[in-house]
Amino acid sequence: MIRFDQVTKRYDSGYEALHDLSFEIEAGEMVFVTGHSGAGKSTLLKLLALIERPTRGSVALAGQNLNQTRRRGIPRVRRGIGMVFQDHRLLMDRSVFENVAMPLLIAGLPREETAKRVRAALDKVGLLEREKAAPIILSGGEQQRVGIARAIVAKPPLLIADEPTGNLDPKLSTEIMELFAEFQQVGATVLVATHDLHLIRRMGKRVLVLDHGRLIDDFRPPVVGA
Amino acid sequence: MNTRKATLPRVKPAPAARGASRSTTRSRLNIRAWREHHAYSFFSSLARIGARPWATALTVLVMGLALALPLLLFLLLQNVQGLSTGWQEAREITVFLKPEIEALTAKQFAESLRARSDVAIVKIRTPDEGLAEFRSQSGFSDALKVLQANPLPTVLVVTARDNPRDKTNATPELVGQLKSDPKVDLVQYDAAWRQRLGAILTLGERVVQVLAGLLALGTLLVVGNTVRLDIQSRAAEIGTLQLLGASKGFVRRPFLYIGLWYGLLSGFVALLLVLVVQLVLGDALAHLLSSYDNRFAFSALGWIPALLVLVVSAALGWFGAWLVASRHLAVGQPA
Repeated sequence: MIRFDQVTKRYDSGYEALHDLSFEIEAGEMVFVTGHSGAGKSTLLKLLALIERPTRGSVALAGQNLNQTRRRGIPRVRRGIGMVFQDHRLLMDRSVFENVAMPLLIAGLPREETAKRVRAALDKVGLLEREKAAPIILSGGEQQRVGIARAIVAKPPLLIADEPTGNLDPKLSTEIMELFAEFQQVGATVLVATHDLHLIRRMGKRVLVLDHGRLIDDFRPPVVGA
Repeated sequence: MNTRKATLPRVKPAPAARGASRSTTRSRLNIRAWREHHAYSFFSSLARIGARPWATALTVLVMGLALALPLLLFLLLQNVQGLSTGWQEAREITVFLKPEIEALTAKQFAESLRARSDVAIVKIRTPDEGLAEFRSQSGFSDALKVLQANPLPTVLVVTARDNPRDKTNATPELVGQLKSDPKVDLVQYDAAWRQRLGAILTLGERVVQVLAGLLALGTLLVVGNTVRLDIQSRAAEIGTLQLLGASKGFVRRPFLYIGLWYGLLSGFVALLLVLVVQLVLGDALAHLLSSYDNRFAFSALGWIPALLVLVVSAALGWFGAWLVASRHLAVGQPA
């Protein structure tokens, strides 16, 4: 599903975020990417979403070499990825429903179909009764769940999340991770960047550890607790 | 630390983003998507300009004024041209007879002119008639009362006729002969003045064209600037939409619709302004025109030109927004 082949990313400032990074993630896996801040977690996700391009090496997604994707092709690649952001990136002047519906609108789905799928996604994150609310009046955890509903509504084959629990308390964080795990169970590939080691340990999924842009560990911890 | 590859519990095929049998329904899907996108842009753009009524009103008024100005000039020119063609077609030669010419002599002279093949009509305006007309139109009626005798001469208004054989204009020849007649004091036939008026009108037409061009450019800039500010204030939203996989067209379209609405609304404002000016100046114009024996009627802006104004203004709005949106959204690509 995802294949990084000797990827190096150096920013214009000269800062090298990733160095000679190679790994592979199979379809249907759930993988955590962790490491200290500045280790290159976000850069890794940005390369997948074509927000950044690698300086060297290649990134392949679903068998397609992203290096060959032209600018015009970027939106199509991104439509196949559900993205969850630490700061949610909700559209504050629209309702919860409209926010979640946006990927389907972009895909051009008919309205009835859209409404059905949006309600299903909101139901999944437990916010069905808040569909008319403005995102600004929701709590941080609720906003993040709206963001997740938006990421999964189009049923993308890949879900990526950058510090999705960054500002949430442990209980909410666990709930969010359970949502990701559920999404994996229905067949999606899930990639989550986080530095929350407790959470990672609890989930018992594969973990990639980055340090100064290098992959220093790739393991699966035994499931503990819950 | 040890590095080892994780064993995979299961590999499920990823669900397709869209429904099954696609190749056959592809084009229909695309058309429907296109329709949905336009419906979305249509309503969201209306909501956006409706959310800022004052800013919208201001923009629309500025654009409306810029469009109304060349429109009013065009209207003025159109009317003056109507008048001048009337004048040019008129073959009237005003012949002032010498003051000492008696009414009977004048009548005989008129008869002799009527007999000519190059003369169509000869009207006699006696000094009394002239005085009455002068009194009613010039506003000098009080001053005229002071006069003991009527100082006005008899006037013959001669309408020339084209040469019956070769249809050429025989007027200059006729004017020359009238001038040399001893009974005639003055012949008024201002060919040169008419030519000059024609030249002035042509110049006026050019001025209107240039002005219309400049002001159209002005409206483009107004729309462009408004849309640019709108894009800037929505930078975060645009970035999010791009991350969600929105194409450039999808992000740009609402802005184009906003430009379209601005253009259309400013077109209405311009027409409204023209209408108001027509109402305000209508009376004065009617009075002026009545002094030309009601031969000319004020021609207002017609339906078709009005419709054209709306089409052009809407197109200007769309184009202005397109110029700016294409540029700014391209620069801000991967957000």
